[in-house]
Amino acid sequence: MDWECCWDRDNIVMGDCPNIHAGDEDLLQSRNRRILEKCSECNRFKRDLSRFRDSGHPLAPVFSLVHSEYQRQKTQIESLVSFLDNKTLEVRFLHELGSVLQSSVDLEEVLSVALTAITAGKGFGMNRAFLLLINRDLGLLHGYLAIGPRNYEEANQVWNEIAGNDMDLQTLAQSFRLNKLNSERAKFHDILARLTVPLSETGHILVKALDGKHPVLIENAFNHPEVNPELAHLLGVDRFLLMPLISRNRRVGMIIADNCITHRSITQEDMRSLENFAFPVAFAIERASLYDRLQLELNRATEAGNKLKEQQEVIVKMEKMALVGRITSSIAHSIRNPLMIIGGFARSILKNTPTSDPKRDFIESIVGEARQLEGVLDEILNYTDMLYPTRDFWDVNQLVESSIRDTSDRLRAWGCESTFIPDTSLPPVFIDYKQVSYCLRTMIISDIDGHEGGKIDISTYLDGDNVIVHAVDTSVRLSQEALDAMLVPFSTTLELGNGLGLALCKTMLEKQGIPFNAQLLPEKGVEYIITLPTRKEEQS
Amino acid sequence: MKRILVVDDEANIRLLYAEELAEDGYDVVTAANTAEAVEKLQQGEFDLAVLDIKLKNESGIDLLQKLVKERHDMPVVLCSAFSCYKDDFSAWLADGYIVKSGDLTELKQEIARILAKKAQRTKA
Repeated sequence: MDWECCWDRDNIVMGDCPNIHAGDEDLLQSRNRRILEKCSECNRFKRDLSRFRDSGHPLAPVFSLVHSEYQRQKTQIESLVSFLDNKTLEVRFLHELGSVLQSSVDLEEVLSVALTAITAGKGFGMNRAFLLLINRDLGLLHGYLAIGPRNYEEANQVWNEIAGNDMDLQTLAQSFRLNKLNSERAKFHDILARLTVPLSETGHILVKALDGKHPVLIENAFNHPEVNPELAHLLGVDRFLLMPLISRNRRVGMIIADNCITHRSITQEDMRSLENFAFPVAFAIERASLYDRLQLELNRATEAGNKLKEQQEVIVKMEKMALVGRITSSIAHSIRNPLMIIGGFARSILKNTPTSDPKRDFIESIVGEARQLEGVLDEILNYTDMLYPTRDFWDVNQLVESSIRDTSDRLRAWGCESTFIPDTSLPPVFIDYKQVSYCLRTMIISDIDGHEGGKIDISTYLDGDNVIVHAVDTSVRLSQEALDAMLVPFSTTLELGNGLGLALCKTMLEKQGIPFNAQLLPEKGVEYIITLPTRKEEQS
Repeated sequence: MKRILVVDDEANIRLLYAEELAEDGYDVVTAANTAEAVEKLQQGEFDLAVLDIKLKNESGIDLLQKLVKERHDMPVVLCSAFSCYKDDFSAWLADGYIVKSGDLTELKQEIARILAKKAQRTKA
């Protein structure tokens, strides 16, 4: 019998078999391999087999049987190999996904990985995915994040981009997190905002799926008896998958995935794969959320610890200061009385000493020195006093008027005058009245002392949340050095007795968080600005 | 002549007040402590008392409270080395308050002001 196929020849040449092409040259010399790999599929062989069957040879039916069984098993093996290949890829993918999820405690990163995995071609290849999270405080399941194209054009563009960059899952997820997370959230904002379901709505398909703890494939959504038509219209697809995220029996959230662009059907195999994937995702989300909460509590605890430490320091400082205060008070008492006696008797003697008496100069010196020492004592006591500010709400205009009144004798003595233009609609200011009053008096006195015929103009006005006390003296001429010296405690350019005044005011006010500025005017004169807070939280 | 009781534990301060106030035309009686002050008060009427807040082992504030209770018509001027006593609410019971100084002008002005006010009140 002449056979059409080349199976009966040990050696053939290229062109004898229509199924052998370049690259298969080794089969030309290997008859057995050629029969197994090529002939069983070859039409020439099938025709030879048919002729053989028709020849009536007793082995002919056996050959046909063996050949068809061989074909069937070969197809089955190929299918199993393909299945195994798919499973290997899936295991590799899940392993990669698990590695990323296990190593991350950052919620945004976990979500990026999860959604990328669902939609990536190398992952589950779904077109679009929505992630909903449970808010336990509010008792809600709410839309949190979404990924995917909204139309065909965008889908083509994105998928071409991804195809052009051969990135693994982790790189894809990182890229999504860096470049797309916020824009995707904004892009799906309208849908996400409406994907909110109270957990108490147990009849809602999302809550039902969540309570059932198993994936649910929704088909014919627009006419599905259990699907709210609003949800179907919101998603705009007839078929979608609900994947509850459950970790340690606790509901974490839900993934809704669909193929809104390709309309590829979602198979049972897809559902099983996604179910395997949902567990590590839910676990990772819960862990990241707990980590976030832990971090928040840790920050709170650290903050409380720091506050406690600060308070302890303040207490220690206050105890020290209280001791300083007690010592200073005691010294002040010890000094004040003898000083008063010296000064008092010296004045008494001075009154009865004729102007022609040569000893009068000496007595005047005693009076003068005693007065200066009393001034120093007052400043030291005021400094001790200012360590404990007691703040409350006060009327600033009343404060300024009272300060001007208290200094009126001094103003008159120097032939100076003052004006005050109050803003009568001011809110109360939150200050230590005594300290700010002392500062205003000191400011007025420091300004007029030594400047006969001077004039200080004071006004108050509102500036945002603050009240400004503004004082200007255009009659005084000071150098910048002199002004700077006035603001430095015990400045070397000034005598001890006068050295604390404005500097003490500045320190006192700044301790209350009140800015105090003194600056020279371009032409002539000095301008003082005290910015008083109207709100408690303005305090330092 | 107006009678003034000066209570201070410092002998020289008592002397200074006595001299200066006498010069201004007041009849001044002095006491070194609370017991002595109470004794002097029992012996006669006073138009005004000048009290030191910090007496040896005693408080001028306690004496002030006693005076306000028993001699509520007699004004009291408190004297102290500390300006912060102004923040003690008990000190607000006094009619006047001054920080001790070798310059007695403020004390004298305060005494004159309070006595004038008292006279006006009596007249009314």
